[in-house]
Amino acid sequence: MKQYDAAVTTKGTNGMTGQLRDLGKAAVALALIAAGATAASAADLGAKDDAIKLAMLEWSGQHISTHIAGQLLQKLGYKVEYVTAGNFPQFTGLSDGTISASVEVWMNNVGDVYPKALEAKQIEDIGKLNLETHEGWVYPKYLEAMCPGLPDWSALDKPECQKALASPDTAPKARFLDYPADWGSRAATILADNNMNLTAVPSGSEGALVAEWESAIAAKKPLVMMFWAPHIALAGVDVGWIKMPPCKTPEAAHCITPPDVDKIVWSGFGKKWPAATVLLQKLSMDAAEQLKIMQRVDKKGEDIDAVTKEWLEKNEAVWKPWVDAAKG
Amino acid sequence: MGVGRESRAASTATFVRRSYVFIDGAFAMTTATLNPPARADIQLAPSLALWLALLAFTAVCLALRDALPWLVTYPKDWVLPAATWINVAADAFVALFRPVFRAISAGLDMPMRAIQVVLQWLPWPVVMVAMAAISLRASGPKLAVFALITLVYVLGTGYWRHSMNTLALVLLAVPVSVTIGFALGVIAHRLPRARGGINACLDLMQTVPAFAYLIPLLLLFGFGPVVGLIASAIYAVPPMVRNTMLGLEMVPEPLKEAGLTSGCTKRQLFWLVEVPQALPQILVGINQTTMAAFSMVIVAAIIGGFEDVGWEVLSSMRKAQFGQSLLSGGVIALLAILIDRITLGFAQEHSPGRGWISLRGLAGGLAGCLLAALALRQFMPELSNPVPGSLWLPQLNAVNQVLLNFVRDHADTLEGIKDTAFYCLMLPLKVGIVGSATPAIWGFTLGPVLTAAYALLIAALTALATSRASWAAGVAVIVGGIILFFGFTGFPWPAMIALAGGLAWCAGGRPVAIFAVLSLLFILLTGLWPFLMQSAYLCALAVALCLLIGGGLGIWASQNDRVSAVLRPINDTLQTMPQFVFLIPALMFFKVGDFTALIAVMLYAIVPPIRYVEHGLRNVRADVVEAARQMGSTPSQLLWQVKLPMALPVIMLGLNQTINAGLSMLAIAAMVGTRDLGQQVYVALGKADTGLGLIAGLAIALVAMMSDRIIQAWSKQQAA
Repeated sequence: MKQYDAAVTTKGTNGMTGQLRDLGKAAVALALIAAGATAASAADLGAKDDAIKLAMLEWSGQHISTHIAGQLLQKLGYKVEYVTAGNFPQFTGLSDGTISASVEVWMNNVGDVYPKALEAKQIEDIGKLNLETHEGWVYPKYLEAMCPGLPDWSALDKPECQKALASPDTAPKARFLDYPADWGSRAATILADNNMNLTAVPSGSEGALVAEWESAIAAKKPLVMMFWAPHIALAGVDVGWIKMPPCKTPEAAHCITPPDVDKIVWSGFGKKWPAATVLLQKLSMDAAEQLKIMQRVDKKGEDIDAVTKEWLEKNEAVWKPWVDAAKG
Repeated sequence: MGVGRESRAASTATFVRRSYVFIDGAFAMTTATLNPPARADIQLAPSLALWLALLAFTAVCLALRDALPWLVTYPKDWVLPAATWINVAADAFVALFRPVFRAISAGLDMPMRAIQVVLQWLPWPVVMVAMAAISLRASGPKLAVFALITLVYVLGTGYWRHSMNTLALVLLAVPVSVTIGFALGVIAHRLPRARGGINACLDLMQTVPAFAYLIPLLLLFGFGPVVGLIASAIYAVPPMVRNTMLGLEMVPEPLKEAGLTSGCTKRQLFWLVEVPQALPQILVGINQTTMAAFSMVIVAAIIGGFEDVGWEVLSSMRKAQFGQSLLSGGVIALLAILIDRITLGFAQEHSPGRGWISLRGLAGGLAGCLLAALALRQFMPELSNPVPGSLWLPQLNAVNQVLLNFVRDHADTLEGIKDTAFYCLMLPLKVGIVGSATPAIWGFTLGPVLTAAYALLIAALTALATSRASWAAGVAVIVGGIILFFGFTGFPWPAMIALAGGLAWCAGGRPVAIFAVLSLLFILLTGLWPFLMQSAYLCALAVALCLLIGGGLGIWASQNDRVSAVLRPINDTLQTMPQFVFLIPALMFFKVGDFTALIAVMLYAIVPPIRYVEHGLRNVRADVVEAARQMGSTPSQLLWQVKLPMALPVIMLGLNQTINAGLSMLAIAAMVGTRDLGQQVYVALGKADTGLGLIAGLAIALVAMMSDRIIQAWSKQQAA
């Protein structure tokens, strides 16, 4: 479940996100200082007999990042537990240490709970996962035959494309499938900014987006919808991303930018598990690799633990430096 | 009673109030046998003048709706910021009482983890044998075989661990709910003054969707499975209270007197006379409570933290994997049916299981199981742990592929169905004929000629209804005609509230009318009116179609045993399978939108009309039917003029259940992109907005309670 929230938080949006970003930076800086301070005893595992509880959220990519983090922590000598958690409920868990860490938090989808917990110093942002993300209006490639001029956004306003995309509930306008209502929506402002002849239909849930995407592709029907990558539904499909018009203002409500993905820990994490903190700070994830593993788990039904283990064996060069840093 | 039994047969997802069924079932059966129902308009006939005034008022509102736009669109400035107030109050409350609730949370977490550890520790073969033995005692070898099949299925799906976690939650939620429910039931029985308040609370607990209060529960109790436990308990307590009350009320007075004269103390009288007498009813309550707890565990899984089956259902819904969701949903459905039959078996005094195994034998068997478990863990650990991962993955992918192939091959047909339904049914109800008759939608505009023709048609129908039935029927036709013309969303709210108030007045007099008007005013003042109209249009259409289709199926099933036998497992599946499962194919066939939401709501709400119509028709007094036959009624006369009128009270109960089922599905239908009250609940859950969630949840509950009161009062009026 990815969610865009800035649009909902009204006027102060930009200032707010800016502030958040600064806070995040400050947190990283602090964490780095803390890491430096403990560098002398960096190999200090801390309370290694208490299991580190990693949040398993609602989407498969996050499961993979989490399992990789978990297995690396085990290599250091920690016990790891995976705790399923909803994307918002997790912050309640992280705030009191019921959940120790969450390694793939999409910052466009943290709601009002996150800034509150961050401000109260109950949770800590320990840096970016460096996952290369993409967000925007996606369509199946065959749509280009029905809407000449794609991927440029202006193609959507042409009559033949309008006709292809129209549906009874939006007619005579074209239909654009938007994020669920509870994720907040930028479509309204962006459509208005550019006088686009589209009606945004809220989708209700991630499942609804995926179901409609898959059925459209199966029947080769036209569809344009708001989506993000990496996502398993896009694997193996020829997709195009609409080239959006320039943003009217850089504010989040008028602009779609690739979302940041951060690693969040419970505020007591650093003190309790120093070496683990260093490792998680170093942890990063490549989107293409994540998608490959995702396909094996979701489409072929392979065991996530086995697949991630195999990946770690093959890619020691990637994670060796992180573990070494943690060991000091 | 029969209705209670009938609908009790397996339903996890019974958001519907089953104890109501039961109590009303008892009421309906007695009244039905006493009094052949009379026409609605004879008793308590409201003055025609009232309706004429209401219609005039409606006409004025409609005439002014262009001049005074606030008549249709309630201005934003007039909205009370109730959600904000609630949030402020909730924040203060949470800050103040969090330690208390966290302590409760810790206290509940421990036993739950303990049960979880034990269930996970038990080797699966032992669990199977034990469950089979329990089922044997509960209701005989058939159920024992069913238990084995269920558990083998669970093992094969690879969800054994998850299922044990779900069971752990239920195993703790049930005793907690039963204890609280029993205590409340006794209090309500002893203190008639408290009864009104307790009943209102129970109504709320059963009708406010759980999505609405998950966020405050999360803030109070902290992250973890305890939230799911509490949510289950909230939903599961009411049936226990209602059945306890009913059971205690049914204890014969002479028996109590006999107890008193033989020198019982008050305590002895209660525990040795009243409780044993009420026991059968209390056991029914335990059965219903268990099922309610089970159904809620799935909804509560949205919080996470427990690795249960509900989480797996939700995960597969998120990935739109129909095969996987069917697999995990099947686990829930089968376990629900199994638990239902077991608790029901123990609730029956003369279950066939009693002859197969004695209680002592069962206890011995279970002790043997424990020894076997120890031995297995010690010597054959490989047999103790279930295989992770599903055995049927290729089949699951094949199911997904079949679904997609179907979509590929029939895309145009499916689109045709959707478009037809949308243009002909949904749009007119939503925006009215006035809004639909545009060049873009219907291809023509509504000229004065067509408008006049429509008015004439309604006038003719009104005349027909008045002459054939009563003036009340005529008024109903006029109101329906006006709503259809202007649509739910274009209807002035003062007129809508007045009409609803009038309807409530006719059905139940002043108290019901006041309740209805206040409920609607609450929704209006909190700014949820547009969402209410969206819900009203969706639910009204779903209920009407369910009555039509489900009623037809029910009539068919009442006359044909084979149809009845085919429908029964379908009904069971529709009621026990988590509704999320059906959302995936519905979405793939019909895309995001109101039509898919309609399908989702109907799939759940169609069960009560099938069951109640069949039950009502099958239980019409045989002597009356025989008499009618003797007088030379044709089968169709028999059906329409004898059986259906006589079964009307039971059918009205079915209508009540249908409306409740439809409303309870709104929060789940939100996942396919509606814009109604359910979506507001869901949005509040997404944004962790306690206030909005509670208000929208309360709005749904008020509508449910309002329609419930109107229908109950109306059918009581009928019977009187």
